Amino acid sequence: MMSEELQEALNLAGDAVTRDADGTVRLVGSECGDCGKKAYPPSDVCPECMSENLSPIKLSTQGKLYSWSVVHAAPKGWTLPFIAAYVDLPEDVRVFAHIVDADPDSLEIDMEVETRMATLGSDESGAPFESFAFTPVQKGDS
Amino acid sequence: MRDVAIVGAGMVPFGKYQEKTLADIAWPAVKQAVEDAGIKKTDIEATYCGTALGGMMAGQRILKKLGITGLPIINIENACSSSSTAFREGWISVAAGVYDAVLVIGVEKLTKFGGGTLPLEKEDWEVSHGLVMPALYAMRARRYMHEYGLTENDIADVSVKARKHGVWNEDAQFRKEVTREEVLASRPVADPLKLFHCCPSGDGAAAVVICSAEKAKQYSASPIKVIGSEINSGKYMTGYRDMTSPEITLRGAKQLYEEAGIGPEDVDLAEVHDAFAIAELLYYEALGFCAKGDAAKLLADGETSVGGKIPVNPSGGLLSKGHPIGSTGVAQIVEIVRQLRGQCGQRQVEGAKVGLTHCTGGGVSGFDHGVCSIHLFAR
Repeated sequence: MMSEELQEALNLAGDAVTRDADGTVRLVGSECGDCGKKAYPPSDVCPECMSENLSPIKLSTQGKLYSWSVVHAAPKGWTLPFIAAYVDLPEDVRVFAHIVDADPDSLEIDMEVETRMATLGSDESGAPFESFAFTPVQKGDS
Repeated sequence: MRDVAIVGAGMVPFGKYQEKTLADIAWPAVKQAVEDAGIKKTDIEATYCGTALGGMMAGQRILKKLGITGLPIINIENACSSSSTAFREGWISVAAGVYDAVLVIGVEKLTKFGGGTLPLEKEDWEVSHGLVMPALYAMRARRYMHEYGLTENDIADVSVKARKHGVWNEDAQFRKEVTREEVLASRPVADPLKLFHCCPSGDGAAAVVICSAEKAKQYSASPIKVIGSEINSGKYMTGYRDMTSPEITLRGAKQLYEEAGIGPEDVDLAEVHDAFAIAELLYYEALGFCAKGDAAKLLADGETSVGGKIPVNPSGGLLSKGHPIGSTGVAQIVEIVRQLRGQCGQRQVEGAKVGLTHCTGGGVSGFDHGVCSIHLFAR
Protein backbone atom coordinates (compact mmCIF):
# COMPACT_ATOMS: atom_id res chain seq x y z
CA MET A 1 0.00 0.00 0.00
CA MET A 2 2.66 2.43 1.06
CA SER A 3 4.89 1.54 -1.84
CA GLU A 4 2.05 2.07 -4.34
CA GLU A 5 1.49 5.55 -3.00
CA LEU A 6 5.19 6.26 -3.23
CA GLN A 7 5.36 5.19 -6.83
CA GLU A 8 2.65 7.61 -7.72
CA ALA A 9 4.24 10.44 -5.80
CA LEU A 10 7.71 9.84 -7.16
CA ASN A 11 7.03 8.82 -10.74
CA LEU A 12 8.96 5.66 -10.10
CA ALA A 13 8.62 2.84 -12.57
CA GLY A 14 7.77 -0.54 -11.07
CA ASP A 15 7.69 -1.61 -7.46
CA ALA A 16 10.69 0.44 -6.33
CA VAL A 17 10.30 0.46 -2.56
CA THR A 18 8.97 -2.42 -0.47
CA ARG A 19 9.11 -3.70 3.06
CA ASP A 20 10.41 -7.13 3.99
CA ALA A 21 8.24 -9.31 6.24
CA ASP A 22 10.14 -7.96 9.27
CA GLY A 23 9.42 -4.37 8.22
CA THR A 24 12.88 -3.58 6.80
CA VAL A 25 12.63 -0.98 4.05
CA ARG A 26 14.09 -2.37 0.84
CA LEU A 27 14.78 -0.75 -2.51
CA VAL A 28 13.97 -2.84 -5.54
CA GLY A 29 15.98 -2.11 -8.67
CA SER A 30 16.14 -3.82 -12.01
CA GLU A 31 18.61 -6.34 -13.37
CA CYS A 32 19.13 -7.01 -17.05
CA GLY A 33 18.66 -10.69 -17.98
CA ASP A 34 21.01 -10.26 -20.93
CA CYS A 35 23.97 -8.13 -19.77
CA GLY A 36 23.51 -8.17 -15.99
CA LYS A 37 23.41 -4.38 -15.58
CA LYS A 38 21.65 -3.28 -12.41
CA ALA A 39 19.89 0.02 -11.96
CA TYR A 40 17.93 2.02 -9.43
CA PRO A 41 15.24 3.21 -9.82
CA PRO A 42 14.17 0.16 -11.83
CA SER A 43 13.77 0.62 -15.54
CA ASP A 44 11.81 -1.28 -18.18
CA VAL A 45 14.67 -1.07 -20.67
CA CYS A 46 18.36 -1.71 -20.01
CA PRO A 47 20.48 1.47 -20.19
CA GLU A 48 23.46 -0.67 -21.22
CA CYS A 49 22.18 -3.02 -23.95
CA MET A 50 18.56 -1.84 -24.61
CA SER A 51 17.22 -5.26 -23.65
CA GLU A 52 13.68 -5.34 -22.29
CA ASN A 53 14.38 -8.63 -20.51
CA LEU A 54 14.59 -7.04 -17.08
CA SER A 55 13.66 -8.43 -13.68
CA PRO A 56 13.26 -6.83 -10.29
CA ILE A 57 16.23 -7.24 -7.95
CA LYS A 58 16.11 -6.71 -4.21
CA LEU A 59 18.98 -4.40 -3.33
CA SER A 60 20.99 -4.46 -0.13
CA THR A 61 19.56 -2.44 2.72
CA GLN A 62 23.00 -1.17 3.74
CA GLY A 63 25.44 0.89 1.75
CA LYS A 64 28.33 3.35 2.03
CA LEU A 65 27.93 7.11 2.26
CA TYR A 66 29.76 8.44 -0.82
CA SER A 67 29.12 12.12 -0.03
CA TRP A 68 26.52 14.37 1.53
CA SER A 69 25.41 17.96 1.97
CA VAL A 70 23.23 19.74 4.50
CA VAL A 71 20.77 21.53 2.23
CA HIS A 72 19.36 24.87 3.35
CA ALA A 73 17.78 26.04 0.06
CA ALA A 74 15.31 23.94 -1.92
CA PRO A 75 11.89 24.33 -3.55
CA LYS A 76 8.83 24.69 -1.34
CA GLY A 77 7.65 21.52 0.32
CA TRP A 78 10.93 20.05 1.53
CA THR A 79 11.59 20.20 5.27
CA LEU A 80 14.72 22.33 5.64
CA PRO A 81 17.47 21.81 6.37
CA PHE A 82 17.80 18.23 5.13
CA ILE A 83 20.81 16.05 4.43
CA ALA A 84 21.15 15.04 0.77
CA ALA A 85 23.45 12.14 0.01
CA TYR A 86 24.69 9.60 -2.47
CA VAL A 87 24.76 6.09 -1.07
CA ASP A 88 26.68 3.29 -2.80
CA LEU A 89 24.97 -0.09 -2.51
CA PRO A 90 27.13 -3.22 -2.86
CA GLU A 91 25.43 -4.11 -6.17
CA ASP A 92 27.31 -1.24 -7.92
CA VAL A 93 24.25 0.95 -7.69
CA ARG A 94 24.39 4.55 -6.45
CA VAL A 95 21.23 5.98 -4.89
CA PHE A 96 20.39 9.60 -4.16
CA ALA A 97 18.57 9.83 -0.84
CA HIS A 98 18.09 11.84 2.31
CA ILE A 99 19.97 10.96 5.47
CA VAL A 100 17.68 11.13 8.49
CA ASP A 101 17.98 10.74 12.26
CA ALA A 102 21.61 11.83 12.18
CA ASP A 103 23.69 14.72 13.47
CA PRO A 104 25.49 16.08 10.39
CA ASP A 105 28.69 16.43 12.45
CA SER A 106 28.68 12.71 13.11
CA LEU A 107 28.67 11.78 9.42
CA GLU A 108 31.78 10.41 7.77
CA ILE A 109 32.65 9.62 4.18
CA ASP A 110 32.20 5.91 3.41
CA MET A 111 30.39 5.17 6.69
CA GLU A 112 27.74 2.44 6.65
CA VAL A 113 24.13 3.58 6.33
CA GLU A 114 20.89 1.65 6.19
CA THR A 115 17.39 2.13 4.79
CA ARG A 116 14.52 3.74 6.63
CA MET A 117 11.17 5.34 5.84
CA ALA A 118 10.90 9.03 6.63
CA THR A 119 8.71 12.05 6.16
CA LEU A 120 10.74 14.39 4.00
CA GLY A 121 8.34 17.24 3.49
CA SER A 122 4.85 17.86 2.26
CA ASP A 123 3.17 17.85 -1.14
CA GLU A 124 1.18 20.68 -2.74
CA SER A 125 -1.95 19.81 -0.72
CA GLY A 126 0.07 19.89 2.50
CA ALA A 127 -0.02 16.11 2.96
CA PRO A 128 3.18 14.57 4.36
CA PHE A 129 5.62 13.38 1.71
CA GLU A 130 7.07 10.05 2.74
CA SER A 131 9.82 8.14 1.07
CA PHE A 132 12.80 5.96 1.76
CA ALA A 133 15.91 7.46 3.31
CA PHE A 134 19.08 6.24 4.97
CA THR A 135 20.44 6.57 8.49
CA PRO A 136 23.86 5.70 9.95
CA VAL A 137 24.12 2.08 11.12
CA GLN A 138 24.29 2.16 14.90
CA LYS A 139 27.22 0.41 16.50
CA GLY A 140 26.01 -2.90 17.83
CA ASP A 141 23.51 -3.36 14.97
CA SER A 142 24.05 -6.49 13.01
CA MET B 1 35.09 22.19 -43.28
CA ARG B 2 36.25 25.76 -43.78
CA ASP B 3 37.66 28.22 -41.26
CA VAL B 4 35.22 30.34 -39.27
CA ALA B 5 35.72 33.64 -37.40
CA ILE B 6 33.81 35.88 -35.04
CA VAL B 7 33.39 39.41 -36.36
CA GLY B 8 31.00 40.96 -33.89
CA ALA B 9 30.27 40.61 -30.16
CA GLY B 10 27.79 42.22 -27.80
CA MET B 11 26.20 41.73 -24.42
CA VAL B 12 24.10 43.55 -21.88
CA PRO B 13 25.28 43.84 -18.28
CA PHE B 14 23.97 40.83 -16.37
CA GLY B 15 21.60 41.77 -13.57
CA LYS B 16 17.97 41.83 -12.57
CA TYR B 17 15.55 43.12 -15.18
CA GLN B 18 12.29 41.92 -13.73
CA GLU B 19 10.31 44.70 -15.41
CA LYS B 20 11.61 43.88 -18.90
CA THR B 21 10.51 41.17 -21.31
CA LEU B 22 13.00 38.60 -22.57
CA ALA B 23 13.05 40.34 -25.94
CA ASP B 24 13.70 43.74 -24.38
CA ILE B 25 16.57 42.32 -22.35
CA ALA B 26 18.15 40.77 -25.45
CA TRP B 27 17.81 43.13 -28.39
CA PRO B 28 20.49 45.61 -27.26
CA ALA B 29 23.04 42.76 -27.12
CA VAL B 30 22.10 41.68 -30.62
CA LYS B 31 22.23 45.22 -31.99
CA GLN B 32 25.63 45.73 -30.38
CA ALA B 33 26.99 42.54 -31.98
CA VAL B 34 25.63 43.41 -35.42
CA GLU B 35 27.00 46.96 -35.24
CA ASP B 36 30.31 45.71 -33.90
CA ALA B 37 30.55 43.42 -36.94
CA GLY B 38 29.58 46.22 -39.28
CA ILE B 39 27.44 43.71 -41.13
CA LYS B 40 24.23 44.65 -42.92
CA LYS B 41 21.39 42.86 -41.23
CA THR B 42 20.29 41.54 -44.61
CA ASP B 43 23.63 39.71 -44.88
CA ILE B 44 22.79 37.58 -41.83
CA GLU B 45 21.57 34.31 -43.27
CA ALA B 46 20.43 32.46 -40.16
CA THR B 47 20.18 32.82 -36.39
CA TYR B 48 20.75 30.27 -33.62
CA CYS B 49 19.24 31.31 -30.31
CA GLY B 50 19.98 29.47 -27.06
CA THR B 51 17.72 29.72 -24.02
CA ALA B 52 16.84 27.14 -21.40
CA LEU B 53 13.75 28.62 -19.80
CA GLY B 54 12.88 31.52 -22.08
CA GLY B 55 9.85 29.88 -23.63
CA MET B 56 8.80 29.27 -27.21
CA MET B 57 10.44 31.09 -30.11
CA ALA B 58 12.71 33.33 -28.08
CA GLY B 59 14.73 34.08 -31.22
CA GLN B 60 11.70 35.32 -33.15
CA ARG B 61 10.53 37.40 -30.18
CA ILE B 62 13.92 39.11 -29.98
CA LEU B 63 14.65 39.58 -33.67
CA LYS B 64 11.30 41.06 -34.61
CA LYS B 65 12.31 44.04 -32.48
CA LEU B 66 15.23 44.64 -34.84
CA GLY B 67 13.57 43.55 -38.07
CA ILE B 68 15.97 40.65 -38.53
CA THR B 69 13.27 38.33 -39.79
CA GLY B 70 12.44 36.24 -42.81
CA LEU B 71 15.46 34.01 -42.22
CA PRO B 72 15.91 30.64 -40.52
CA ILE B 73 15.74 31.17 -36.75
CA ILE B 74 16.62 28.06 -34.77
CA ASN B 75 15.84 28.00 -31.04
CA ILE B 76 17.96 25.68 -28.92
CA GLU B 77 17.53 24.34 -25.36
CA ASN B 78 20.42 22.51 -23.66
CA ALA B 79 20.20 23.69 -20.02
CA CYS B 80 23.13 25.94 -19.05
CA SER B 81 24.85 25.03 -22.32
CA SER B 82 21.96 26.27 -24.47
CA SER B 83 23.87 29.08 -26.14
CA SER B 84 27.24 27.32 -26.29
CA THR B 85 25.30 24.65 -28.16
CA ALA B 86 23.72 27.34 -30.35
CA PHE B 87 27.19 28.70 -31.08
CA ARG B 88 28.41 25.29 -32.12
CA GLU B 89 25.41 24.80 -34.42
CA GLY B 90 26.10 28.20 -35.97
CA TRP B 91 29.76 27.30 -36.37
CA ILE B 92 28.86 24.01 -38.09
CA SER B 93 26.56 25.78 -40.52
CA VAL B 94 29.25 28.25 -41.58
CA ALA B 95 32.10 25.73 -41.51
CA ALA B 96 30.06 23.40 -43.71
CA GLY B 97 29.40 26.17 -46.19
CA VAL B 98 25.64 26.24 -45.72
CA TYR B 99 25.75 29.92 -44.71
CA ASP B 100 28.40 32.62 -44.94
CA ALA B 101 27.28 34.69 -41.94
CA VAL B 102 25.06 33.83 -38.96
CA LEU B 103 24.01 35.37 -35.68
CA VAL B 104 24.16 33.48 -32.38
CA ILE B 105 22.21 34.65 -29.33
CA GLY B 106 22.13 33.52 -25.71
CA VAL B 107 19.37 34.83 -23.47
CA GLU B 108 17.70 34.12 -20.14
CA LYS B 109 15.39 35.80 -17.67
CA LEU B 110 15.60 34.00 -14.33
CA THR B 111 13.96 36.73 -12.24
CA LYS B 112 10.59 35.51 -13.54
CA PHE B 113 10.96 32.59 -11.11
CA GLY B 114 11.27 34.94 -8.13
CA GLY B 115 14.65 33.69 -6.85
CA GLY B 116 15.78 30.48 -5.17
CA THR B 117 17.50 27.50 -6.72
CA LEU B 118 17.20 26.84 -10.46
CA PRO B 119 13.93 25.05 -11.32
CA LEU B 120 14.77 21.54 -12.56
CA GLU B 121 12.78 18.91 -14.43
CA LYS B 122 10.44 17.29 -11.91
CA GLU B 123 10.16 14.06 -13.92
CA ASP B 124 13.78 13.41 -13.00
CA TRP B 125 13.97 10.90 -10.20
CA GLU B 126 16.61 12.64 -8.09
CA VAL B 127 14.89 16.00 -8.52
CA SER B 128 11.65 14.37 -7.33
CA HIS B 129 13.62 13.42 -4.21
CA GLY B 130 14.92 16.90 -3.50
CA LEU B 131 18.13 17.22 -5.51
CA VAL B 132 19.04 20.85 -6.19
CA MET B 133 22.11 22.03 -8.09
CA PRO B 134 23.94 23.50 -5.06
CA ALA B 135 23.63 20.13 -3.28
CA LEU B 136 25.11 18.28 -6.24
CA TYR B 137 28.15 20.58 -6.31
CA ALA B 138 28.38 20.48 -2.51
CA MET B 139 28.64 16.70 -2.61
CA ARG B 140 31.42 16.98 -5.20
CA ALA B 141 33.15 19.46 -2.89
CA ARG B 142 32.90 17.28 0.20
CA ARG B 143 34.24 14.22 -1.58
CA TYR B 144 37.10 16.23 -3.10
CA MET B 145 37.93 17.70 0.33
CA HIS B 146 38.04 14.17 1.73
CA GLU B 147 40.25 12.75 -1.02
CA TYR B 148 42.63 15.66 -1.67
CA GLY B 149 42.69 17.64 1.57
CA LEU B 150 41.01 20.69 0.07
CA THR B 151 39.90 23.18 2.74
CA GLU B 152 36.91 25.51 3.03
CA ASN B 153 39.37 28.40 2.76
CA ASP B 154 40.58 27.09 -0.61
CA ILE B 155 37.03 26.99 -1.97
CA ALA B 156 36.27 30.46 -0.57
CA ASP B 157 39.32 31.84 -2.38
CA VAL B 158 37.75 30.96 -5.74
CA SER B 159 34.92 33.37 -4.92
CA VAL B 160 37.37 36.01 -3.72
CA LYS B 161 39.23 35.86 -7.05
CA ALA B 162 36.01 35.89 -9.07
CA ARG B 163 34.71 38.96 -7.27
CA LYS B 164 38.04 40.72 -7.68
CA HIS B 165 37.91 40.20 -11.46
CA GLY B 166 34.27 41.24 -11.53
CA VAL B 167 35.10 44.67 -10.14
CA TRP B 168 36.84 45.38 -13.45
CA ASN B 169 33.97 44.19 -15.67
CA GLU B 170 31.19 46.68 -16.28
CA ASP B 171 28.96 43.85 -17.55
CA ALA B 172 29.25 41.89 -14.28
CA GLN B 173 26.32 41.49 -11.89
CA PHE B 174 28.58 41.74 -8.80
CA ARG B 175 31.20 44.49 -8.87
CA LYS B 176 32.28 44.51 -5.26
CA GLU B 177 35.19 42.61 -3.73
CA VAL B 178 34.61 40.12 -0.92
CA THR B 179 37.04 38.70 1.61
CA ARG B 180 37.52 35.06 2.48
CA GLU B 181 35.93 35.78 5.87
CA GLU B 182 32.86 37.31 4.23
CA VAL B 183 32.48 34.29 1.95
CA LEU B 184 32.69 31.90 4.88
CA ALA B 185 30.27 34.00 6.94
CA SER B 186 27.63 34.19 4.20
CA ARG B 187 24.53 32.10 4.79
CA PRO B 188 24.75 28.33 4.21
CA VAL B 189 23.08 27.08 1.02
CA ALA B 190 24.27 23.49 0.74
CA ASP B 191 27.02 22.77 3.22
CA PRO B 192 29.98 23.19 2.66
CA LEU B 193 28.82 25.77 0.09
CA LYS B 194 27.74 29.19 1.31
CA LEU B 195 25.82 31.87 -0.58
CA PHE B 196 28.98 33.52 -1.91
CA HIS B 197 30.16 30.18 -3.29
CA CYS B 198 27.12 30.18 -5.59
CA CYS B 199 26.48 32.10 -8.80
CA PRO B 200 23.66 34.63 -8.49
CA SER B 201 20.30 34.29 -10.19
CA GLY B 202 19.71 36.96 -12.82
CA ASP B 203 18.90 38.01 -16.36
CA GLY B 204 21.00 38.78 -19.39
CA ALA B 205 21.80 38.30 -23.04
CA ALA B 206 24.83 38.07 -25.30
CA ALA B 207 25.30 37.74 -29.05
CA VAL B 208 28.00 37.17 -31.64
CA VAL B 209 28.15 37.34 -35.42
CA ILE B 210 30.22 34.64 -37.08
CA CYS B 211 31.19 34.19 -40.69
CA SER B 212 33.59 32.34 -42.94
CA ALA B 213 37.21 33.35 -42.34
CA GLU B 214 37.39 34.33 -45.98
CA LYS B 215 34.60 36.88 -45.56
CA ALA B 216 35.65 37.99 -42.08
CA LYS B 217 38.19 40.52 -43.29
CA GLN B 218 35.54 42.53 -45.08
CA TYR B 219 33.81 43.12 -41.76
CA SER B 220 36.51 43.24 -39.12
CA ALA B 221 40.12 44.32 -38.83
CA SER B 222 40.52 41.85 -35.97
CA PRO B 223 38.45 38.73 -36.61
CA ILE B 224 38.76 36.06 -33.93
CA LYS B 225 39.25 32.58 -35.35
CA VAL B 226 37.37 29.56 -34.01
CA ILE B 227 40.13 26.95 -33.80
CA GLY B 228 38.20 24.18 -32.06
CA SER B 229 34.61 23.30 -31.25
CA GLU B 230 33.49 20.38 -29.14
CA ILE B 231 30.24 19.22 -27.57
CA ASN B 232 29.33 16.04 -25.76
CA SER B 233 26.67 14.56 -23.56
CA GLY B 234 27.66 13.00 -20.28
CA LYS B 235 27.80 9.23 -19.95
CA TYR B 236 24.81 7.86 -18.07
CA MET B 237 26.00 5.82 -15.12
CA THR B 238 23.81 3.87 -12.71
CA GLY B 239 26.72 2.71 -10.57
CA TYR B 240 29.67 4.20 -8.74
CA ARG B 241 31.37 7.18 -10.32
CA ASP B 242 34.16 9.49 -9.24
CA MET B 243 32.53 12.86 -8.58
CA THR B 244 35.90 14.58 -8.11
CA SER B 245 36.69 13.97 -11.76
CA PRO B 246 34.29 15.65 -14.22
CA GLU B 247 34.36 12.93 -16.87
CA ILE B 248 32.55 14.88 -19.56
CA THR B 249 34.98 17.81 -19.34
CA LEU B 250 38.00 15.49 -19.32
CA ARG B 251 36.78 13.68 -22.43
CA GLY B 252 35.79 16.88 -24.19
CA ALA B 253 39.06 18.69 -23.46
CA LYS B 254 41.16 15.76 -24.68
CA GLN B 255 39.17 15.56 -27.90
CA LEU B 256 39.29 19.32 -28.45
CA TYR B 257 43.05 19.70 -27.89
CA GLU B 258 43.67 16.83 -30.32
CA GLU B 259 41.39 18.38 -32.90
CA ALA B 260 42.97 21.83 -32.56
CA GLY B 261 46.52 20.47 -32.44
CA ILE B 262 47.39 22.41 -29.30
CA GLY B 263 47.64 21.62 -25.60
CA PRO B 264 46.54 23.27 -22.37
CA GLU B 265 49.98 24.94 -22.13
CA ASP B 266 49.11 26.91 -25.28
CA VAL B 267 45.96 28.43 -23.76
CA ASP B 268 46.44 32.01 -22.52
CA LEU B 269 43.11 32.41 -20.72
CA ALA B 270 39.88 30.53 -20.09
CA GLU B 271 36.28 31.23 -19.22
CA VAL B 272 35.03 28.15 -17.35
CA HIS B 273 31.71 27.11 -15.87
CA ASP B 274 32.14 28.17 -12.23
CA ALA B 275 28.45 27.96 -11.31
CA PHE B 276 29.70 27.04 -7.83
CA ALA B 277 33.18 27.77 -6.50
CA ILE B 278 34.24 24.12 -6.21
CA ALA B 279 33.59 23.64 -9.94
CA GLU B 280 36.35 25.99 -11.02
CA LEU B 281 38.93 23.94 -9.11
CA LEU B 282 37.73 20.68 -10.67
CA TYR B 283 37.96 22.27 -14.12
CA TYR B 284 41.55 23.49 -13.69
CA GLU B 285 42.43 19.83 -13.48
CA ALA B 286 40.04 18.52 -16.11
CA LEU B 287 41.16 21.12 -18.65
CA GLY B 288 44.81 20.24 -18.00
CA PHE B 289 45.91 23.51 -16.38
CA CYS B 290 47.34 21.51 -13.45
CA ALA B 291 47.63 17.93 -12.24
CA LYS B 292 44.90 16.16 -10.30
CA GLY B 293 44.86 17.38 -6.71
CA ASP B 294 46.87 20.57 -7.46
CA ALA B 295 44.00 22.96 -8.18
CA ALA B 296 44.10 24.76 -4.83
CA LYS B 297 47.83 25.38 -5.23
CA LEU B 298 47.37 26.79 -8.75
CA LEU B 299 44.80 29.22 -7.37
CA ALA B 300 46.82 30.11 -4.25
CA ASP B 301 49.89 30.82 -6.40
CA GLY B 302 47.87 33.42 -8.30
CA GLU B 303 48.32 31.59 -11.60
CA THR B 304 44.61 31.77 -12.43
CA SER B 305 44.26 35.45 -11.58
CA VAL B 306 44.78 38.17 -14.17
CA GLY B 307 48.56 38.52 -14.31
CA GLY B 308 49.10 34.79 -13.68
CA LYS B 309 50.14 32.02 -16.04
CA ILE B 310 46.63 30.97 -17.03
CA PRO B 311 43.99 33.51 -15.96
CA VAL B 312 40.63 31.79 -15.48
CA ASN B 313 37.41 33.77 -15.61
CA PRO B 314 38.89 37.26 -15.99
CA SER B 315 35.29 38.37 -16.63
CA GLY B 316 34.45 37.46 -13.04
CA GLY B 317 32.99 34.16 -14.19
CA LEU B 318 29.53 32.92 -13.37
CA LEU B 319 30.17 33.69 -9.69
CA SER B 320 30.61 37.41 -10.29
CA LYS B 321 29.50 38.22 -13.82
CA GLY B 322 26.32 36.22 -13.20
CA HIS B 323 24.68 33.18 -14.75
CA PRO B 324 21.44 33.80 -16.63
CA ILE B 325 21.86 30.23 -17.75
CA GLY B 326 20.97 30.30 -21.45
CA SER B 327 23.12 33.36 -22.08
CA THR B 328 26.27 32.06 -20.41
CA GLY B 329 27.85 30.18 -23.33
CA VAL B 330 27.80 33.17 -25.67
CA ALA B 331 28.72 35.61 -22.89
CA GLN B 332 31.88 33.57 -22.23
CA ILE B 333 32.70 33.82 -25.94
CA VAL B 334 32.11 37.60 -25.90
CA GLU B 335 34.69 37.90 -23.10
CA ILE B 336 37.26 35.85 -25.03
CA VAL B 337 36.67 37.94 -28.18
CA ARG B 338 37.21 41.16 -26.23
CA GLN B 339 40.29 39.76 -24.49
CA LEU B 340 41.86 38.59 -27.73
CA ARG B 341 41.18 42.01 -29.23
CA GLY B 342 42.80 43.69 -26.20
CA GLN B 343 39.64 45.61 -25.21
CA CYS B 344 39.40 44.59 -21.55
CA GLY B 345 41.03 47.45 -19.64
CA GLN B 346 42.10 46.57 -16.12
CA ARG B 347 41.21 42.90 -16.48
CA GLN B 348 43.07 42.55 -19.79
CA VAL B 349 45.21 39.42 -20.07
CA GLU B 350 48.30 40.92 -21.67
CA GLY B 351 49.36 39.43 -24.97
CA ALA B 352 46.53 36.86 -25.02
CA LYS B 353 46.52 34.93 -28.28
CA VAL B 354 44.50 31.78 -27.49
CA GLY B 355 41.36 31.62 -25.35
CA LEU B 356 39.12 28.77 -24.22
CA THR B 357 35.46 28.65 -23.20
CA HIS B 358 33.95 25.78 -21.22
CA CYS B 359 30.24 25.49 -20.50
CA THR B 360 28.37 22.61 -18.91
CA GLY B 361 24.72 21.86 -18.28
CA GLY B 362 23.30 19.50 -15.71
CA GLY B 363 20.38 18.61 -13.56
CA VAL B 364 19.62 15.12 -14.87
CA SER B 365 20.36 12.17 -12.60
CA GLY B 366 23.04 9.63 -13.50
CA PHE B 367 25.17 12.10 -15.43
CA ASP B 368 28.24 13.99 -14.28
CA HIS B 369 26.71 16.67 -16.48
CA GLY B 370 24.11 16.30 -19.20
CA VAL B 371 26.13 18.38 -21.64
CA CYS B 372 29.48 20.11 -21.96
CA SER B 373 30.67 22.33 -24.77
CA ILE B 374 34.24 23.60 -25.10
CA HIS B 375 35.60 26.03 -27.69
CA LEU B 376 39.02 27.39 -28.59
CA PHE B 377 39.65 30.77 -30.18
CA ALA B 378 42.72 32.56 -31.52
CA ARG B 379 43.55 35.95 -32.89
